[in-house]
Amino acid sequence: MISRSITRRRVLVTGLAGLAASRAGLGAPAAWAQTPVALQLSWLHSVQFAGSYLAVQNGWWRDAGLEVSLLQGGPNAPVEPPVVSGTALVGISAADYTAAAVAQGAPFRIIGVAMQKNPFVIASLPGNPIVAPADLPGKRIGMAVANTPVLQALCSLNDVDFNAVRIVPTQYSAQPLLAGEVDGLLCWETDLPVAMAMQGVRAQTMLMADHGYALHSQTYIATDDSLANRRSELVALMTGEVRGWNAYRADTDAAAELTVAMFPDAGMDLPTQRLQAERQVPLMFSDLTDAQGFGSWTDEAVQANIRTLALLGRSVTPELWDRSILDEVHGR
Amino acid sequence: MTTLARQAGSPFALLMLWQLAAAATAGRFLLAGPVEVLAWLSANPGLVGRALSVTLANAAWGFLTGNVAAILIAAVAMGWPRVLPLLTGLALVVFCLPLIATGPILRVMMGPGNGPQIVLAALAVYYTTLIPLLAGLRAAPAGWFDLVATYGRGRLAELVHIRARSSLPYLLAGLQISAPAAFLGAMVGEFTGAERGLGVLTIRFARDLNVPALWSLAAVAAAISIAAYLAIGAAGKRLQTERPPVILAPPRLSRGSAPDRLGHAGLLAVATLALWWGGMEALGLDPFFAKRPPDLLAALTVAPEAAAMWQALLRAAGETAAFVLPGYAAGLALGAGLAMLLSLVPALAELVTPLAIALRSVPIVTTAPLVVLLLGRGAAGTIALVALMVFFPTFVACQHGLRQAPGQVLDILRSYGAGPLRQMLHVRIPAMLPAFFASARIGVPAAILAVTVAEWLATGRGLGNLMTLSASLSDYTMLWLTVVLATLASILGYAGVAWAERRVLRVFAPEQVDR
Repeated sequence: MISRSITRRRVLVTGLAGLAASRAGLGAPAAWAQTPVALQLSWLHSVQFAGSYLAVQNGWWRDAGLEVSLLQGGPNAPVEPPVVSGTALVGISAADYTAAAVAQGAPFRIIGVAMQKNPFVIASLPGNPIVAPADLPGKRIGMAVANTPVLQALCSLNDVDFNAVRIVPTQYSAQPLLAGEVDGLLCWETDLPVAMAMQGVRAQTMLMADHGYALHSQTYIATDDSLANRRSELVALMTGEVRGWNAYRADTDAAAELTVAMFPDAGMDLPTQRLQAERQVPLMFSDLTDAQGFGSWTDEAVQANIRTLALLGRSVTPELWDRSILDEVHGR
Repeated sequence: MTTLARQAGSPFALLMLWQLAAAATAGRFLLAGPVEVLAWLSANPGLVGRALSVTLANAAWGFLTGNVAAILIAAVAMGWPRVLPLLTGLALVVFCLPLIATGPILRVMMGPGNGPQIVLAALAVYYTTLIPLLAGLRAAPAGWFDLVATYGRGRLAELVHIRARSSLPYLLAGLQISAPAAFLGAMVGEFTGAERGLGVLTIRFARDLNVPALWSLAAVAAAISIAAYLAIGAAGKRLQTERPPVILAPPRLSRGSAPDRLGHAGLLAVATLALWWGGMEALGLDPFFAKRPPDLLAALTVAPEAAAMWQALLRAAGETAAFVLPGYAAGLALGAGLAMLLSLVPALAELVTPLAIALRSVPIVTTAPLVVLLLGRGAAGTIALVALMVFFPTFVACQHGLRQAPGQVLDILRSYGAGPLRQMLHVRIPAMLPAFFASARIGVPAAILAVTVAEWLATGRGLGNLMTLSASLSDYTMLWLTVVLATLASILGYAGVAWAERRVLRVFAPEQVDR
């Protein structure tokens, strides 16, 4: 099993390397036309950003005259400073982090929304499930202390007594739940529950977005200055993203395979990436994106976001969201 | 044959203990035993090999640049003693900067690649070499310096002929402490968005709940650190063939008066502010995240939310102090105590030393769940993590210090039939004191760094948590305030230890006290 997947991986990698080499050879005369830009990712490479990898692999950015480098994130790699300082043209943030940065004077606009539904869930075990916010009182919930406002917001959205929930500060891992140290975990639908599924544990997840927690996640942010002076690059970058994510939706398994093959040193495991790829589809695609294209949002969604942000102690205006780039991408 | 069996016995016992611990915690996703680790490593040799080569190269460059920097700083300070307080002060300030704050800034400045990992590895080691080295450069009998003076030679001759040699054992202690620190520094540096390496894999596997993989990486990190430690130790034994000399130095009346010290502190503050502000301006760092001194001053005084800022800062500082002080004290006691125990019962060394190095070189993300299991999520766990970080440099430095007991003095005690305990009390412990105090001084910033990392990755409280929280919310004013606070606390603690050190060493090792 292992040897087969390695061989397969190796074949794919060799194929990719060959592709890259031939591209470099062919692309040399046109190199002057390529504008280098960077996209700052919010976490380690994984299918979370597979749309971008598809755009690279299919040359959708190269054809538009962009040479995009994908900057990996990490636990100690904030997204906002590289975008403010211009190291990255666009960053992958979330509405709450963006609002916080704007409150500190960062000139950011949200120019696209990859996750229409916020990925935060309360994960629990089937024997002691948490299926609705009303189940929360009396339960021990493991989370990073920094995320306390998230749970607080969920409780006030659902008239649940927050003080009756017992918060246990844990590191971001499924281990405390599996060891019975907590009854629930505040985590993303697409990471810790997937890790548990890989260990044979089918965790119950309560998606907070289904209970009023409206907050755009995996948002594309750019500065006012870029919006004014680097529009064509932004349009080209977002066009590649939209095409990449549409291809992703068409075949999530292929997207997972590409992800694992592109980063052989990242320690990714194909079944995990496949499941994660599958699970993020309902968060990213909806009737709205079917009608208006990937990355879009409605005015109602903006209002709902503003209400959630107010519960998190952030006050923003609808001007934080800027549709002009996506409108150009989708030819509106 | 028996020695061979004995030498093989200790590692075997350690592996057995490890396997038993893994069996005892099976099914809880805490610990993988050597059998699982071996199986995982043999199934993934390429992945581990490539990651190791990246991290090892970064750690090696960091080790090299950090230690060369330490040696250069020490040499300059010896040749030109007037700059010593300023130079060591600045070195301390830089060492105190929390990596949670410096990591992202290095990444923005240096871009993708290995730059931040190498710099963080170098920053993790240069200070732990500099301080023992400075102690070693002074650890020579006064008579030797008189001899140099008689020949009409100056400071350079002193440095080349006497100080360089007297400092060698201390330098080796520093290098031994550096080896695991450089490796850990390079791994943590990868948390800032590096493309590959053992640190990147550690984050991945921790989240994927891949316990065998996680402990395989920890085992690799520990094995490399142990090998480097033993290799430096063996090289040291070859270099040092003579017995340590009896250091006779005339007791000195302290001439470093209080106004002098205040002057030094003022100069250091001015130089730090100038470098901070000037550096940011020279590099053109964006004021969104690179806050200047006036920004912080304004936030604490005239800003409308100044009172809330103070409150958040002081609360976090209080939480941190409650962990860091007991952790620091426990680490010092444990380090010195264990070094003395091993000096009395050397057979234990083969069991304890690898364990101590392993504990120092395995990242906290891997060990935190185990510590939580053993000690709970309360204060005890964090205190233990801090104690572990302080313990290791103290342990190594004290072991070297105990070996600095002058042979002739020991001979006299032996000829009077004094046993090992008496030798320890009257000769070895006094000989150890300079090394102990050097490590106690290093321990102050090390403890504060350790507690902020533990708070960041494990407990979510105190200054470490405030730092990450501020960074994720783009509250860089608060982030820099926490950096200033942590640095000030380190420097004050350091000064406190130095004050105690002067009083003790004036009696036991007057050559160490500033002229």
